[in-house]
Amino acid sequence: MSLAPAGEFHPSYRADMTIFPTKNSRRALMLGIFLLCFAPLVLGRYELGLLINIGFMGIAALGLNILVGFTGQISIGHAAFFGVGAFLSAYLHERFHIPVILCIPLAGLGTAVVGLIFGLPAARLKGLYLAIATLAAQFILEDFFARAQWFTGGVAGRMTEAVELFGVKFDREESYFYVVLAFTIIMFVMAANLMRTRDGRALIAVRDHYLSAEVMGINLAYYRTLSFAISSFYAGIAGALYAHYLFFVSVEAFNILFSIQFLAMVIIGGLGSVMGSLMGAAFMVLMPEGVQALADLLAGSWIDRTLKLGTSISFLREMAIGAAIILFLVFEPDGLAHRWKQIKAYWKLYPFSH
Amino acid sequence: MKKTILAAALALALPAAAQQRTPIGHLMDNSGPTSDVGVPYGQGVADTLAWANANNRGRPMNVLGFDYGYQAPRAVSQYQAWSRDRVAAIQGWGTVDTEALVRFVTRDRIPYISGSYSAALTDAGGRSGRPGIEAAPYNFFYGPSYSDALRAMLIWARDDWRARGQAGAPRYVHMGANHPYPNSPKEAGETLARELGFEVLPAIQFALTPGDYTAQCLTLRSGGAHYAYLGNTAGSNISVLRACQTAGVQVQFLGNVWGMDENAMKAAGVAANGVVFPVRTSAVWGQQAPGMANVQAISRVSDTAGTAYRPVHYLAGVCSAMLMVEAMESAAENAGAVTGERIRNGFYARQNWVPRGFEGVCAPSNFTPTDHRGTMSVPLFRARVTGDTTAGSVAELVAAGTIRLEPVATITLDRRADWLGW
Repeated sequence: MSLAPAGEFHPSYRADMTIFPTKNSRRALMLGIFLLCFAPLVLGRYELGLLINIGFMGIAALGLNILVGFTGQISIGHAAFFGVGAFLSAYLHERFHIPVILCIPLAGLGTAVVGLIFGLPAARLKGLYLAIATLAAQFILEDFFARAQWFTGGVAGRMTEAVELFGVKFDREESYFYVVLAFTIIMFVMAANLMRTRDGRALIAVRDHYLSAEVMGINLAYYRTLSFAISSFYAGIAGALYAHYLFFVSVEAFNILFSIQFLAMVIIGGLGSVMGSLMGAAFMVLMPEGVQALADLLAGSWIDRTLKLGTSISFLREMAIGAAIILFLVFEPDGLAHRWKQIKAYWKLYPFSH
Repeated sequence: MKKTILAAALALALPAAAQQRTPIGHLMDNSGPTSDVGVPYGQGVADTLAWANANNRGRPMNVLGFDYGYQAPRAVSQYQAWSRDRVAAIQGWGTVDTEALVRFVTRDRIPYISGSYSAALTDAGGRSGRPGIEAAPYNFFYGPSYSDALRAMLIWARDDWRARGQAGAPRYVHMGANHPYPNSPKEAGETLARELGFEVLPAIQFALTPGDYTAQCLTLRSGGAHYAYLGNTAGSNISVLRACQTAGVQVQFLGNVWGMDENAMKAAGVAANGVVFPVRTSAVWGQQAPGMANVQAISRVSDTAGTAYRPVHYLAGVCSAMLMVEAMESAAENAGAVTGERIRNGFYARQNWVPRGFEGVCAPSNFTPTDHRGTMSVPLFRARVTGDTTAGSVAELVAAGTIRLEPVATITLDRRADWLGW
């Protein structure tokens, strides 16, 4: 049966926890992934580059969503953990000659350890205090990147190598797309499943009401730090994917603005939604490109001349990000994932929505 | 109906024909921490390429501009997009991104004319044997390297110290952000300073962005420095100059080539008075030279009224762009294909190279397949600010003589082999 009954109606726990409510939704996802496999054949390298960006940004955003959306913690140092993953993967390959494809998960694990250390205050702090503690992580790590010549190449940055598997180099968009696609699917399936386990439900319980959770026997300190480690693991994997895509990592990329961008992705996509993380990442990757295209159209046009914009046009891109966050908070506080659900509900119930 | 379809098809085909133009990448910093000098330089490059297109200089170009906000990763990803578009050459900007791209442009054979004058980019043959320096056969820039410019200023400083009849060893200090661009000439400068008999003080750090640098000025004073190198760009240097003026610190500042210009002199006011810095062109805006007519024509590309004042960086942008235009001309000679390799060889085609029509403006350059130090001659100027700079525009202040660039000396360095790539 491909139709879902009206309302919340689950005869068993199994049905309640399912990822795919209907057979068609499973088929639709399979078809989507199947079609994506053909993307390198039809899309240009620019479009593929955007998809790759959405892929690893989505993974990092999902990590932050586990922390912010599912556990109710806050982190404004996510970009620093992303950076740890990027540098660590490059370092592991260069120093120990570990194949890049193994460096990526290892970088994830290493970042999880770093995240565990910086997440320790989370066991005791919450809210604004935790925000400031993670801000410290951001600055400590950023400063470390700039000075640890042996690890990051200092302020000049570090070159990275392409993923190589069975003698095939994944150094072009057409091929690297598959690497990112595979990692994205694995990471998203893992997150979706995590939320169905005891640990995942514990995280949500901590978010919904920490006191009730503690009364129910959930170890607050344990789950709060665990959430940090998982979130950093995701950031590390994403950072490593980024490093081996760009072939160059430098400290400048992992600044606080980048951390804020991750937060924006999570808010825009939808707090506490696995799918929303990907939507938010897609939005934040595509919007600057759209604004850039608009700015290019605007440059030299009559609007440019009358308003004397000139080089100020370059700032449109930066301003658009800020504006997007504000507009989403005002008009779409539940994020894109919620809007998507409403669109689906509209068609499902059409024409008898009320 | 058929006619309209034909016309529409023609209209569609025409831009397609225009796309036969050689694609050229142009990386700019219009919004990042070095945009203070990146904007005039980038405008100079853009105007020159537009002018060259309009006046049939070199091959017709399709210039693809991109503002990367001084973020190296953005530059690298943009480079990858351009390498797919098969750009024939790139006009670049900062030190981090240029150095990060050396390996890529060498592999893809894309001549890269940077706004970074890092000495690490001059070792074209990779023969310097310096640790961490790779061969950079496709990297070029117009002007003396950061290291050579600093060496020239140090030689001048020693002469200045003697001329003033001062006793004892002068004290020298390097100032700048912990960033590849200000760091680039640090070691070279400190080494030569020691050789010349300076006492070298520990380097002082200040960020690339404007801020309160009073603490740095007090360190300068307590260290008793006589000569201080400002390694950043104009915006943050102004902050240092003003803070030091307020704190009453008397030091002879030596500016990096991007560290001072007419806009900075207006912004800093009398605090900028006395700063010595290298100027890359043989003439500055408002001076007479045979090539100035062409520079003014270029300026009118983005300023139809012809009233804008163009600071030194704009003129440097003109010369950098013209080197590339003429190298492309050489590449296209004898019906040759304008490939990256042939453009690079175009840079070696001339001796004491001054772009045609820019005599008296662009200083002569010499490039060889092993040595990309375009010039060893460093003309030094002193910023002269004699009054209130808040009243008028830069053009008015220059016309009134409130802001002046005063020639100090031209230092010609030896083309020492051990200075290659350093």
